[in-house]
This record gives sequence, structure tokens and C-alpha cells, in this order.
Amino acid sequence: MTPDRIDTSALTSSVNYFEDFTEGDVWRHARGKTVTEMDNVLLTNLVLNTAEGHFNEDRMQKAGGGIFSQRVVFGGINLSFVIGLAAQDTGEQVIAELEMDKVRLRHPVFHGDTLYAFTEVVEKTASDRDDAGCVRFRHYGINQDDKLCVEAERVVLMKKRAGWGGAAA
Amino acid sequence: MDTVEDLKSRARLWPRGNTFEDFSIGRAFTHHWGRTLTEADSTLFTTLTLHYNPQYFNAEIAAANGYDRGCPVNPLLVFNTVFGLSVEDLSEGGGPFLGVDKCVYGAPVYPGDTLTAESEVIAARESDKRPDFGIVTWATRGVNQHGQEVIRFRRSNLVRRLKSQGD
Repeated sequence: MTPDRIDTSALTSSVNYFEDFTEGDVWRHARGKTVTEMDNVLLTNLVLNTAEGHFNEDRMQKAGGGIFSQRVVFGGINLSFVIGLAAQDTGEQVIAELEMDKVRLRHPVFHGDTLYAFTEVVEKTASDRDDAGCVRFRHYGINQDDKLCVEAERVVLMKKRAGWGGAAA
Repeated sequence: MDTVEDLKSRARLWPRGNTFEDFSIGRAFTHHWGRTLTEADSTLFTTLTLHYNPQYFNAEIAAANGYDRGCPVNPLLVFNTVFGLSVEDLSEGGGPFLGVDKCVYGAPVYPGDTLTAESEVIAARESDKRPDFGIVTWATRGVNQHGQEVIRFRRSNLVRRLKSQGD
């Protein structure tokens, strides 16, 4: 540890370090989020996603032969919300997001739908540094009707309490 | 003839997007525009998606975690931006986004960095369930202004077939 590193451990939880996760554990995260028109249209447009199926309601209602008859939330946002809903528990001690894999958008999300997140701890492995390890999570996002909307694996580099936990350890 | 009728009778559609038939294996795309990501973009994205890792909105924690140019840009925003830049070429033609595999993050992105995106078609097949669509997979990369890779991933979408146009 470098001597000038400030102690920031008091600003985050003390129970979500690398040591705290056990392979096979499944967690249900505390909060859900109702995905609003504001969320979808703002973020879709912010990232220059030009597919008007996410932001032209008139076109979606009038289009024949389309799969949906209303604007559908951009899948990248659904994914981001599910990882976000899981982030305080599985990301507060993350130094770097490393990978995602097996991301599947199983069911569409529409304005007003509510997403909830669950996480399975898939695998813990060593990293190339002593003060952090790698954790592979599998995140699940379900809607208000228990439909599975999103699945995604995510690998992160996570702090070990031994190197970072400060007084809370 | 009123103005709207006149417009609609004289105007030609300026088309956007591609269809299944455009995606021959190996075809490469350099996507339009690029985007300089700002601190405001990343803070807004991070807070709106409830991504409560404070290194994305607390510069002191980012520094303690080893980031030497302020808060790094949220990697999910990097993913969504590189994806967004690719949409007109790849998936605007209609059809839902099915999945992503083998997404790997590269160099961290900081506010002020400019990302551009490029893709290559790696698979294309007809859809058994939906005859008007095919399933296409692309390998997409995002690079920063120094040419360093910041993300790569494989994405699959349903893509509308030409014969279904005008349905």
C-alpha cells in the first residue's frame, strides 16, 4: 500500500469485499427500479443509439409487421440497470470491471416495467495483485411479473479487505 | 394541393440502416461520428443506473483506487456508447438485440477521451422462428483517441430481411 493512499474505507460498506463472497451463493438485491420513459429515451439518445424503436412512439404504433407495437427499452439499458441494481452489493469495492459474457436479453422491457436483480457468485480466482481478486458473477434481472428479462456474467477485480478494509476490518 | 400533401408526394426517403442481405461474413464497418465522453455523461449515467461504485462519482475514491486522471468513465457507459455508435450500420434496420458475448474492457476511459467504433460481421444465418428476420453476429471494438482498445465484444441481433421491407 502506498503511504499517501487516503483511507476511504469508511465511505463504503464493510461486508462486500472479495473475502465476503462464497461461490454458489445467490443474493437478492434490496431495491428495484421502475424503468421510465425518461430513463430509456435519455440514455438511448445520450449514447447516440439511432434505433427509433426506442424513441419514436408514433412509428412503433403505426408500423405493421414489427415485433413490438410501442417503444421498447434499449437492451443495453436493461443490462445496465440490472448491473446497477446489483452494484452496491457486488461493485462498491470493485477497482475495475474486467469482462461481461453470456449477456442475454430474454424478454422485452417497456416503459413502466420494474426490474429487480439477483446475483449468483460463480467463481473466485486470484488476480495479478495481492490486494484484490477476481470474482465472476451471474446477474439476473426479472420484471414485476417474474419474467426473466436479462442474464449476464460479469467479471470484476475486487478489493480484499486485508489490503483495503481499514479500521472496519 | 396543400403543403403537407405536396411534401409527401414529392419527397424521397433518405434511407438509414442496413438489412440482413448487407451482412456478408467478413464485411467491416467503421462507424460514424465517435463521441467525446464527459464527466457529466458518466456521472449522469452512473447515478441514473444506480451503479453505486463511488469510484465513478467520487474523485478521491477514484484516486485512492489508482485512477490518476479523476473518476474513470463508467465501463457500462463505454459499452453503451460503442454499441450506440454501431447501431445505424448494424441494427437500425429493425430487430431486437439478443445478446453479447466475450466482452472485454481494455484501457480505462477518462472524461475528455474520444471513442470511435468499428465492427466486422462474423456470423449470419436465417431465423427459424421468424422468416422475415435473420440473426447476425458482429465483433465490435471501441478505441480511444490514441488508438488503444477500450472495449471489444460480440453482439447478436435479429435483423430484418430485405424481402420483408414494406410490410
